Amino acid sequence: MGGVAGGLADTLGVPDAYVRAAFLTLLTVWGLGGVLYLGFWLMAYDKVEDREVVAVDTGRGLGLGLAFLGLMLLLESIGWWPNPALVLTAGALAFGTAALTDSSKPGPLAALMDPNVDRPSRTRLVLGVVLLIGGLSVFFTSIGAVFELGVVFLAIVLTGLGIVVAFGPWVRRLVADLATERNERIRQEERAEMAAHLHDSVLQTLALIQRTDDPAEMMILARHQESDLRDWLFGSAPLDGVDLLSTALKDAAARVEKDHHVRVDVVTVGDHAIDKRATFLVGAASEAMVNAAKHSGADRLSLYLEAEDDALAVYVTDQGEGFDPDAVPPDRKGITKSIRSRLEKAGGTVEINSEPGEGTEVVLSMPVEAE
Amino acid sequence: MSITVYLVDDHRLFLSGVKAELAEDFRIVGSAFDVDTAIVEIRGLNPDVVLVDVHMPDGGGIAVIEGVNESNPDVKFLALSVSDQAEDVITMIRAGARGYVTKTIEPPDLAEAVRRISSGDAVFSPRLAGFVLDAFAGAIPSEEDPELDQLTLREKDVLRLIARGFAYKQVARKLEISIKTVETHVSSVLRKLQLSNRHELARWASKRHIV
Repeated sequence: MGGVAGGLADTLGVPDAYVRAAFLTLLTVWGLGGVLYLGFWLMAYDKVEDREVVAVDTGRGLGLGLAFLGLMLLLESIGWWPNPALVLTAGALAFGTAALTDSSKPGPLAALMDPNVDRPSRTRLVLGVVLLIGGLSVFFTSIGAVFELGVVFLAIVLTGLGIVVAFGPWVRRLVADLATERNERIRQEERAEMAAHLHDSVLQTLALIQRTDDPAEMMILARHQESDLRDWLFGSAPLDGVDLLSTALKDAAARVEKDHHVRVDVVTVGDHAIDKRATFLVGAASEAMVNAAKHSGADRLSLYLEAEDDALAVYVTDQGEGFDPDAVPPDRKGITKSIRSRLEKAGGTVEINSEPGEGTEVVLSMPVEAE
Repeated sequence: MSITVYLVDDHRLFLSGVKAELAEDFRIVGSAFDVDTAIVEIRGLNPDVVLVDVHMPDGGGIAVIEGVNESNPDVKFLALSVSDQAEDVITMIRAGARGYVTKTIEPPDLAEAVRRISSGDAVFSPRLAGFVLDAFAGAIPSEEDPELDQLTLREKDVLRLIARGFAYKQVARKLEISIKTVETHVSSVLRKLQLSNRHELARWASKRHIV
């Protein structure tokens, strides 16, 4: 039967034929094989990708199972319950039949059961209904006459199988179609969303780059787009809606890159939520970056955040001209002063290390607010 | 004798750009656009340094490193990527790369990185230094090999300065040590990164779906 038996055989590592034979033999024990088969079939159905393969062979399996059940039922009703020898014979017979049924060449029975036949097979429907009625009538007869558990059980199984054969494939196809349709819709929505984002960001930037003659401008546009796209692709969204210091610093760096045509390499170790003090720190860092971009002559800056449990430190470093902190020209002093006063008001400190020709480093530190 | 370099990148445009940049200083012995060709050719050519892209079809840079490591243990890898996500960095280093730089690196810096790698040193970009500090932060785990699982104070100082954007030369001067010592510290950190079982590394990696 390939689908269920074959799958099971693969899992167990025994030839298909044995599994098939086992199913059919078990069928003689109050339809146990049929129930098992149905169970495996339902389990196998969960593997959507194997749907078609399983479907074809399941029909065949059901057909054989039903035929066997019918035979057993017939024997039962004429009061001739099969003895062990007969079960063995029947088992051997089933073994042969199963082995001969090659799943790649569907026999008439399989075609009859094939749920993939486009229009619902009338024969299958008729067979199902007949089995249903048969099962029900055996059930009622048995109630009226001698109440026998085995017969009742067989009848129930038979009725169930009848229903499955009659309506199963149709229901299954309906479910499958719905799932396919839903997947398709989700895919389309994702595509549309992606297209919209790329249109607003990447395509716009590419258009801008084509209209620009200034290499520096191009560089900035590309760089900006790169970090934007990177955020979108690998996105570090704020945790639980809490904005993080690292994110705020990255945003500030991106603004400086855009406004002042420098490149800012941001490295963060640890992180902290944006509270009042952290906000001061971001402001001071922005000022330090703008300062470096304007005066150092360097085309790239480094921004380094180290967030520890009790203190935050931000380093803004450039490899530019540098200056002698003791002989600061008045315009730079003003900016330094504003950074300093801003931060010190919030309880932090500013340290400026610079030498002419050696670049400048501004160290901004801030104790962490006690919770 | 000049250093021999092999390039692996599935982005042809980028590959030819890097080739042109490095051709002045090094002998480019070959290049490949895909993993399988790269493995075969690198085995045959045995170059000093391989520049390998992290993200490629058929297993990416990891597959190249793993495919060559056993047969040619002397080949040194420098990972190049447009991505600088922590998981990419850590995965490549743990697979055996001796350095990791992003593709936005300036050409002179790339040349310097290749030279450093070829002489057996490690190349840490500021961002990689930051990742390592992050991964090795916090309390020291009581594992059987504590030396592998924590950074020394000096190593942390070196990494901090690299993360702040300083070149090795400047790091050396700031800490008043020689460049050679800076290189030794960085190589030692690389070894820890490759060998440490520090739970933060594993946890960090699994959190970012790489193990």
